[in-house]
Amino acid sequence: MIDFKHVKKFYPNGTVALDGVDLHIDDGEFVFIVGHSGAGKTTMTKLLLREEAVSSGSLIVGNYNLTKIKNREIPYYRRELGVVFQDFRLFPNKTVYENVAFAMQVVGTPRSMIKRRVPAILSTVNLADKIKCFPRELSGGEQQRVALARALANNPKIIVADEPTGNIDPKMSIEIMNLLMKINKLGKTIIVVTHEKNLVDYYKQRVVMLGDGKIIEDRVGGMFE
Amino acid sequence: MRKHYSLRYFTKQAMTGLWRNGVMSVASVAVLMSCLVVLGCFALLLININVNLENVAQLNQIVVYCEYDLDADAIEEIGSQIEEMDYIDSVTHVTKEDALETLREQSGEYEALYNDITPENNPLSDSFEIIYKGTDETEVFDLEAQLRSIEGVRKINSVYQVAKTLDGLKNGVMLVCVWFLAILFVVSIFVIINTIKLAVYSRRSEISVMRYVGATNWFITLPFILEGVLIGVFASLIGFAIETYIYNYVEKMALADLQMISVLGYGKIAIPLFFGFLVIGVITGIIGSVASLRKYLKS
Repeated sequence: MIDFKHVKKFYPNGTVALDGVDLHIDDGEFVFIVGHSGAGKTTMTKLLLREEAVSSGSLIVGNYNLTKIKNREIPYYRRELGVVFQDFRLFPNKTVYENVAFAMQVVGTPRSMIKRRVPAILSTVNLADKIKCFPRELSGGEQQRVALARALANNPKIIVADEPTGNIDPKMSIEIMNLLMKINKLGKTIIVVTHEKNLVDYYKQRVVMLGDGKIIEDRVGGMFE
Repeated sequence: MRKHYSLRYFTKQAMTGLWRNGVMSVASVAVLMSCLVVLGCFALLLININVNLENVAQLNQIVVYCEYDLDADAIEEIGSQIEEMDYIDSVTHVTKEDALETLREQSGEYEALYNDITPENNPLSDSFEIIYKGTDETEVFDLEAQLRSIEGVRKINSVYQVAKTLDGLKNGVMLVCVWFLAILFVVSIFVIINTIKLAVYSRRSEISVMRYVGATNWFITLPFILEGVLIGVFASLIGFAIETYIYNYVEKMALADLQMISVLGYGKIAIPLFFGFLVIGVITGIIGSVASLRKYLKS
């Protein structure tokens, strides 16, 4: 469960990035966050990842109140999330297996479990045959699937995908979105931040539209208008 | 679930960091190593000055040399005058024959050189070895002045002056050492800070991913602290090897050419010196790493 209650975010230079946002997302939902540049999508993502703190209001994600969370608790909160970025952020000198295993390694997962789990996750994202490849040997869509596998590595409850199709061609974009839908069916909450109208319209999921830091529309089965 | 963090992972990360920033890593090791070698040289110099100072100070002795052509009565008169003086603990009369015998004994394999010297052509003079009681500088200077004023006294050798010179040298060395080392250690900490900052910068994308997947601060920073520790360990090991070479060289030179100086055997000081280097090297490395990560840890 994600609960924004009258969340405001101001930056030191005086910019009001979010201006009293109220948003409730239930477990297992699939939500598109859309809006034009400067609408507040990135700030919302940063608040969810606890890269930034809310200026006022309250933000609760699962068992964590992000308004009151202590710095030392943030890493443990982030383990509840899986993050996918537009630019993939893979390690070029690590293989597909190592890139996914790395996410498990940093949270102290036993080696035996890593060995078991990584191939299984790579099968979920249809990359079982690329396990020994390096990112440079993969297409953009495949790299994004590795990033998705890495996001799933620690079995998070929520996946936050920030412009996941921004760097890949339309065919691959469909593939990534289909995977996200598949993962959603497994019970994960999926939040996709995007400005790609076609994709949003095609999948007809809940659409939250931001404009000038406010929610201007929140519609299930919505379109990007 | 029990957490499994392997030391191998952290060590590998630290070694990779050192390797990636090769030039800065070598510079850090070189600067810290120089500091340790200089520190070692000063420390060993001070230890040896102290050893020599103790040897000298224990004697508490002044030697009074008589004129060459004095007869036995005149020499006896000098002895009597000395015995009557204040601060005198004991007076030993060393005849010129005794002095020649001592010299012959000290010459070892060159003893034969003195075979031609007979009591008639002995070039040495009678002397008195005095042990005094006072340790106050004025008292010693007063005694030295009185001894010089005795008729028939050619010269005096006061060990007090040597002790005083060595003591002054020790203080001077200590003062230079403290300032020099303070500057060198500040420099080496700054170089280490830069090395670690470069390592953090070169791995910034890796660190950002680590943060997003929930790595704790200590997990992220431990390899960098370990990198500082490794810089300290490498610097101390190389520094110790260089120090050993320098000391052995100086020891040989001192034994061969400066026989009057006693040099402490390296075996007695090698182990404390090694651990001293290691502890100082590692602590400096950790200080450098933590200082460069402080801002990062706060964010």
